[in-house]
Amino acid sequence: MIKINALKKIYGETTVLNIPELSIPKSQCFGLVGNNGAGKTTLFRIMLDLVRATEGEVRVDEEDVSKGEQWKTKVGAYLDENMLLSFLSPEEYFTALRKIYQLSEQDLSLHLEKFSDFFNGEILGNKKYIRDLSKGNIKKVGIAAAMLGNPEAVLLDEPFENLDPSSQIRLKKLILKEKADHQVTFLISSHDLNHVIEICDRIVLLEKGEMVKDLQEKYDMTAELNAYFNVG
Amino acid sequence: MVKNLIKLEILKRVRSTSFARSLAIGIFVFFIGIFLLGYLFLFGLVLNKLVKDVLGKDDAVVFINSCLLYFFLLELIYRYFIQQLPVISLGSFLHLPLSKSRIIHFLLGSSFISPLNIISLLVFGPFAFLEIQPLYGTFPAGIWLTAVVLTSWSIHWFILWFKQRFEDSMTGTIAVFTTLLISLGANYLGIYDMGAFFEPVFTFALESPVPIFLLLTVLILSYFLCFAFYRQNAYLEELSEGEHLQFANKNLGFLSKFGLAGEMANLEWKLIIRHKKSRTYLMLCLIFLLYGLIFYNNPAYQTTSGFSYEFIFVGTFITGIFMLQYGQLFLSWNSPAFDFYVHQKNGLKALVRGKYLLFTGISLLCFILSVPYVYFGWDVLLIHLATFLFNIGVTMHLVIYLALWKPKPMDLNKGSMFNYEGMGISQFLMFIPLIAAPYAVFLPFAYLFGDYAGLLAMSIAGSFGILVFRRISASIAEKIIQNKYEISSSFRQEL
Repeated sequence: MIKINALKKIYGETTVLNIPELSIPKSQCFGLVGNNGAGKTTLFRIMLDLVRATEGEVRVDEEDVSKGEQWKTKVGAYLDENMLLSFLSPEEYFTALRKIYQLSEQDLSLHLEKFSDFFNGEILGNKKYIRDLSKGNIKKVGIAAAMLGNPEAVLLDEPFENLDPSSQIRLKKLILKEKADHQVTFLISSHDLNHVIEICDRIVLLEKGEMVKDLQEKYDMTAELNAYFNVG
Repeated sequence: MVKNLIKLEILKRVRSTSFARSLAIGIFVFFIGIFLLGYLFLFGLVLNKLVKDVLGKDDAVVFINSCLLYFFLLELIYRYFIQQLPVISLGSFLHLPLSKSRIIHFLLGSSFISPLNIISLLVFGPFAFLEIQPLYGTFPAGIWLTAVVLTSWSIHWFILWFKQRFEDSMTGTIAVFTTLLISLGANYLGIYDMGAFFEPVFTFALESPVPIFLLLTVLILSYFLCFAFYRQNAYLEELSEGEHLQFANKNLGFLSKFGLAGEMANLEWKLIIRHKKSRTYLMLCLIFLLYGLIFYNNPAYQTTSGFSYEFIFVGTFITGIFMLQYGQLFLSWNSPAFDFYVHQKNGLKALVRGKYLLFTGISLLCFILSVPYVYFGWDVLLIHLATFLFNIGVTMHLVIYLALWKPKPMDLNKGSMFNYEGMGISQFLMFIPLIAAPYAVFLPFAYLFGDYAGLLAMSIAGSFGILVFRRISASIAEKIIQNKYEISSSFRQEL
């Protein structure tokens, strides 16, 4: 689904990202962990063609993301508030997206229905602009927007951050269900190791832009990650 | 304690984004301010001569007294638009162990230090000493000036209260505009002369100090009106609450006919009406619609044949002010959500198209609203038509092209007037070609073949620009797409 070849991002003298090769197959739940400054967000931004790669390329279904635009209908993403139109109310935002993705009203209401537990009645029908919502609720809007339009892959940066515990659990269920029902590929970066280990089939550990570990077996993830992050 | 607060306030002003972002702009704005105040002072110096020689009034004092009311009405209006509310810093003080009254006194007091509060002194100070003093003596001149300044300061407090009380609601704006229109209209139609009605108040100030005490009471009362309101509502949610969807949820339905670009135009429209800064620009459109009144019936601009060339300038502004002002910051408006547009398929292309749609729509609306100026002659209508075509055919492309030179991010929710966030030197320099362009086309033809040929040339240039609109808009979108990484990273880092 997503292939990375000889990807490098260099700011001045420092290499902030250096990934020789990475391939993410369809319907994999891919976790990205690493301490601050490891390059997680930069990697996501390059994958979405928001930041230019210094060298190398990212391909979505064999299409170079920096050359074409066809992939944009297949990949949904929520990285930060820059990706929302915060001067709209959540409904208006979803409606705007619906028109952009050319979905019917029914598609949208079906989609939002899936999120009704996750939204916990605080998002829709609440006459507030997105910018006036709490951080957790903004995140919920962004996540629901990223999954709109039946994307084949969804990129989420720190999706669990700012969410209350019940919402975190609901989000995990949502992700697993989408994956099972529609073979959606998920790319998730997070600092919450427990959540990532629980839902991800594969975890890549970044350190200063390099892939230090690529864990594909569930049973040794916990031990490996604990060994790395336990600084004592 | 108060000393500390003052120190904080000074730091805040020095470090405010509009001041510190670029020293060059800071200096530029400072000089503009000094110039404006200097002009007002000069105006004050020649005020008595203006009244006597140009307007031919015998008694300048009586005349000025009867005009003062209009000055104060004007002051109400500009204060309403320019004056900043002091509550912005409230949140950083409320949780501290300071009494609320003291915080409010301090915030109100610091709002008083503003160039707006010396305008009346600059304009009428020289008049008092050049005209009133020789005729009535020093003491009455002082009293008169004090009365004028006290009135102006009362307006300061009144507006602080008024703006907060009706903040951003339509009621407030409508109230201000109806006041203006009713007073001007009634005067113009000669129903009653409100100025003459109020004239005795200030004439009385020439004879006795009683008005001073009255006005001082008004000043104190207006301060406490303001204080009481702010004190009572000194809660974060009440004074600086986020607006709700009351009046800003209108869709421009017809835009949906233009597909994705129309959708973007719709979103942009919402962006405009939901942010202070852009709303001010929209309001400016309305004010500039009245701009023609100053010029078109002014005897100084009447010519025996054809029309005065200044009118081209007036027409450009009336039909194009929104595009000139809003377009200058073309992409900066989208800086908080730029990644959103980048991430949509064809998003940037649609964004550019959408903005074109919106600019054209608003320009057309301004043109239609300006049709009644035909009252001042068919020339005016022709000028407006020519400048309108030129604006959407040529100036619009020019604005957008120039605006793409190093766009800067900005916070859309910060105050509106005199907020130079997002402005770089390029934005200031832009105005020169924008104003020169219509004349560059108009003047050669006007000299060679007459005024109307000049207008025709502008219309043709404009229509041609409209015909090639697709190609130009596509090339502009292409330029943005090429630079999208630089633009989006500059928007992200600086915010």
